[in-house]
Amino acid sequence: MPAPHPGALDPDEAALAARASSEALPEDEPVPVMQQILENPFLLLFIGVAMPTVLYIVWGVMEIVNIPVAK
Amino acid sequence: MSAIEPPRQRLWWKQPLDRVEGTWIAIAFAWCLVMFFMMPYWHIYGRQNLANEAYRNTPENYQAKTDAMVAKYKVREETDLKIPVVHPPAGSDVFLIARLWSWWPMLELEAGKTYRLHLMSMDYLHGFSLQPENINIQVHPGYEHVVTITPTAPGTFGIVCNEYCGINHHTMASRLYVVK
Repeated sequence: MPAPHPGALDPDEAALAARASSEALPEDEPVPVMQQILENPFLLLFIGVAMPTVLYIVWGVMEIVNIPVAK
Repeated sequence: MSAIEPPRQRLWWKQPLDRVEGTWIAIAFAWCLVMFFMMPYWHIYGRQNLANEAYRNTPENYQAKTDAMVAKYKVREETDLKIPVVHPPAGSDVFLIARLWSWWPMLELEAGKTYRLHLMSMDYLHGFSLQPENINIQVHPGYEHVVTITPTAPGTFGIVCNEYCGINHHTMASRLYVVK
């Protein structure tokens, strides 16, 4: 039975051991917010486009529109 | 281990940060902060042109203001094109027109005195580059840019257009005189 890494338990053994010592199973714990963000490629794609667009294009256009008219 | 495989633990975010990785991140972040704060610092204390005064205007209005200045302060004409040379009073507003493919008029300023130099283009984008100084300003159509300048030493300075503006861009040059 191939173990992925030496010394590590395979998932079934880990679940059994956790239940035996009444630890919370890894599947029950909530996923941290940062991990949810970094694991979502489409969210990252959206942020990667939206941030520069807002900070450069939108902010820049706002500055230009606010240039006063000459007297 | 490769980036294509899923991480060893389901909740990998909780894996404690390795000391070497933490040190690397700290050093890289410190350098990012240095580079970030160098930008405003050098913009101000490195005597770069502060781009902070501009107005929206029309070519007709701006031409009228420039003509008024030329009418009041013209001292002579130069070159075959008979470009007027103006000697405006210290502290006043000085107007320079950039058009395809010339600068109009020519300016004669006094050393040690401060002027408000207005720059605007009548047609397309040009660049105001004062030679041999390190002053370079974009000259836009429709926007009047104002720079406060104080010539420090007398002499003859060159003005070249450093923003490509067409077939005769390379001929778009002028002189700026600074007298005592």
